[in-house]
Amino acid sequence: MDYTEDDGTYSIQTFDLTKRFTKKKHRGIFGFLRKERKQRKQQSESSRVTVALDHINIKIRSGELFGLLGPNGAGKTTLVKCLSTILIPDKGTAVVNGFDIRKQTSMVRASLGLVIGGERTLYWKLTARDNLMYFASLYKMPRNQAKERVEELLEKMQLSDRADERLEDYSTGMRQKIAIARSLLHDPSILLLDEPTLGLDPTFSKQIRGQIRELSDKHGKTILLTTHYMDEADQLCDRVAFINDGKVVAVDDPDSLKATVKETELVEITCFNPPLDVERHLKSLCPGVDIITLVHGDETKGNPSKIKIIGGNAEEHISTAIDALRKKNVRISSLNVGVPTLEDVFIKLTGAKLAEGEGRG
Amino acid sequence: MNKNRVKGHELGEVTCPTGFNWTNLKAELRAIWESSIKAWKIELAYPVSFLRQSVSPLIILLPFLIYGMVLVGGRYSENLERMVGTGDVVTFIFTGYVIMGFIGTAVWAMGFSIRGEQWFGTLESIFVTPTSRLSLVLGMALHSTVHQSIGTAVEFAIIYAVFGLGLKIGGILPALGIFVLMMLALYGFGILVSALSLVLKEGWIVAEGLHSIMMILSPVVYPLVVLPTVAQQASAIFPTAPALVGMRVFLIENYQPEVIGNIFLHLLALDAAWILFGILVFHLTDIYVRKKGSLEKY
Amino acid sequence: MPRNVLLQSSAKSNFFIVWSEVVKNLKFLLAYPIVFVFWAIFPIFWFIPFVLQGQAFVGGLQSPSFGEVAGTEEFIPFIILGAILNSYVLTSLYGMGESIRREAYRGTLDYILSSPCNKAFILIGKALSESFSSTLYAISQLAISILFFGMELTLGIIMPVIFIIILLILGLYGLALILAAASLRYKQAHDMAHALEYVFYVFSPVRYPVASLPLWGQIIGRLLPLTYALIAVRSLILLKQNLPAIYLEILALLIIDGIMILTGFYLFNWMEEKTKTSGTISHY
Repeated sequence: MDYTEDDGTYSIQTFDLTKRFTKKKHRGIFGFLRKERKQRKQQSESSRVTVALDHINIKIRSGELFGLLGPNGAGKTTLVKCLSTILIPDKGTAVVNGFDIRKQTSMVRASLGLVIGGERTLYWKLTARDNLMYFASLYKMPRNQAKERVEELLEKMQLSDRADERLEDYSTGMRQKIAIARSLLHDPSILLLDEPTLGLDPTFSKQIRGQIRELSDKHGKTILLTTHYMDEADQLCDRVAFINDGKVVAVDDPDSLKATVKETELVEITCFNPPLDVERHLKSLCPGVDIITLVHGDETKGNPSKIKIIGGNAEEHISTAIDALRKKNVRISSLNVGVPTLEDVFIKLTGAKLAEGEGRG
Repeated sequence: MNKNRVKGHELGEVTCPTGFNWTNLKAELRAIWESSIKAWKIELAYPVSFLRQSVSPLIILLPFLIYGMVLVGGRYSENLERMVGTGDVVTFIFTGYVIMGFIGTAVWAMGFSIRGEQWFGTLESIFVTPTSRLSLVLGMALHSTVHQSIGTAVEFAIIYAVFGLGLKIGGILPALGIFVLMMLALYGFGILVSALSLVLKEGWIVAEGLHSIMMILSPVVYPLVVLPTVAQQASAIFPTAPALVGMRVFLIENYQPEVIGNIFLHLLALDAAWILFGILVFHLTDIYVRKKGSLEKY
Repeated sequence: MPRNVLLQSSAKSNFFIVWSEVVKNLKFLLAYPIVFVFWAIFPIFWFIPFVLQGQAFVGGLQSPSFGEVAGTEEFIPFIILGAILNSYVLTSLYGMGESIRREAYRGTLDYILSSPCNKAFILIGKALSESFSSTLYAISQLAISILFFGMELTLGIIMPVIFIIILLILGLYGLALILAAASLRYKQAHDMAHALEYVFYVFSPVRYPVASLPLWGQIIGRLLPLTYALIAVRSLILLKQNLPAIYLEILALLIIDGIMILTGFYLFNWMEEKTKTSGTISHY
């Protein structure tokens, strides 16, 4: 592997990192009896291959809080798993804390702390303290040092008083705090956090975001954070990369990314009860606009839907769009012009919504 | 510690010991110990299950004993004595059966411990730590060996009290030596099964198959000579056959082994072969699942 | 108060529930052909040690002392029949509990339990499919035993044997319902299944006649349906007796079946009501 671009100041650097997955097609028990034509077979084989990472090249500086944004199935989790040596890439490699993920797996594992998604990454039948003490031994810490560190982390997570309760009696948010504490046991310089606030209530999300920021600001950790919450990335990250269909679409700091959408290029109509074909309908009325997209809100809970008109001469079409919506009996509650979010940038770049997509994340 | 970096990185210090040195070895041994303690804690969280498993070796032994005794109308078998020098079916079955329990330990408890972690959802979390994967498996092996030993002790006490066993006390130490050699090879076997259980969706079928074959090819409840010649020869690849013969020589009065050879050398050779083969397959499957991305799937 | 739900809905709709459940389970069975082949062949391996043990201890295929208590000196057919019938016990002990656990794992259990139908019929469907597959396995094991272990079977006794097996299965359904009831409420119902397996394993005449047990053991053995089924089937196959000769065993099986099925239905419905109020369904 050619590391010539590596100038030694990056904690994480990937070189054409590529990973494909082949999905097994279920052919039934007598599937082997069925004959497939060669052409069809080749065709179906190519459709069974999912490219989760497609020649990914990113560089994350030491001490940086780097966000990886993308919808479900974009390849975020696959990237985290490759970097943490859980997966071996098909092509390319990455250097984590100066160690090659292919050749120096133990050093890579010793260099990083990982928080991966899923409820059950800890032992529910053990107490929080037992869990942390056990993982401390797997991070090869001497017993006394481990004890001190575990107490310190429990204190930090404000869970000291419940440290001797089994995790099955914890809430999801509390378990997530223990998962974060686990990733910090050996005081690694790099943290990989895969959707750390997924499924948490707003209070816990806020607390965990605060802790992430603190780990970056006060402790100088290099953090790779994957999320599909745009606000989270905007709020926390020094730089973000957009990833879609296994490819990195853009990398920059949030402000610069948002600046790529000009004021005249964005109109956001907040409304209730938009018809399902609203995107198509408005598109036919507003020529010269790049994208018109509907982001459904949970209207039963009072959260409105949003119609975004992005790119080209969006601003010129405000009155046309509003008239058209009124005719369709849509209740408009507000109108924003030229205040883009990261989501708008993502939509502009990919044409895809963040909530879209299924499967491997 | 921060050796062989790609370039002259001035990056984070890595504090975990790695490589071949005493500090790392100590850390790996501690990880083995802690993994075994963790398995105990989880097990004891289900007290009913633990109690049941402690008596189960005894329960499974009883039919072999009663059946044997009904067959010969007591505890003396003339035919058995003709074959191996002792006619005491209870002592013969018991000594064989104890070993059978440890075959189960290697195949099931050890082989499927990794699968258990997959079920808990913790497999990726433990695999991403710098501790060697083999240490994790060995930790679980340690737990299951102690577990089986407890069951065996309960079983021994009860069978001894009810039936009495004609064992030579002086032979216990050398028999234990043979036992240790056998367990080493069984660990190799367990490592192999744990690797297979990760790759094969129906790994339990392979494990059950291997378990049953090993059970049939080992002189657990009958001497090897009752097996067809081919099966007798095939039994030499499993550690249980020579170990059982050897242990009975030391433990049972007048026992004249049906098959004799240098049992210690035989076992040492099997230890080396099974451990190396187990580790090799484990290493290859580790690479395979990491390439395929099937680690988290159950 | 639990209602007698057996009388609650129409026979036709209940039949449909049972039918759909059977079809679903058989499709699952066919989705894992290796598992199917395994159960059809592997139980043979479990009784081979007993065959070899017998040969080593008595130096032949007949044991006079075995004959004194068992009525037949030929111990190999004796244990083969024991093993085959015992596999029905194993599938009813674990099959249904396993099936419920699988539903919980897949996340379908809550939906099944929240459906308006009588869940006992779903369980009957599960049990029927278990019996169907068990019978396929038993036929395969029997065929292997005839081919390789010199088992003999005359065509005339097939119908009476099937009749006894049906009586056995009915009693086991009751037992499976009791276990299913327990598994709705207690996480460790699996251990209960194991404990029951041990009772069957030691006290019913799977490997040796009940008469070889101490008196208290014989009493426990006489409470188990498998004991009577085994005595009956062995009388038919090994001692060449006919149905009227084993009327006492048939009567005992009928009584045990009745008690077990009624207890099973009652307990299951009661437990389901209780679980609904305390909300512990699919808490795994």
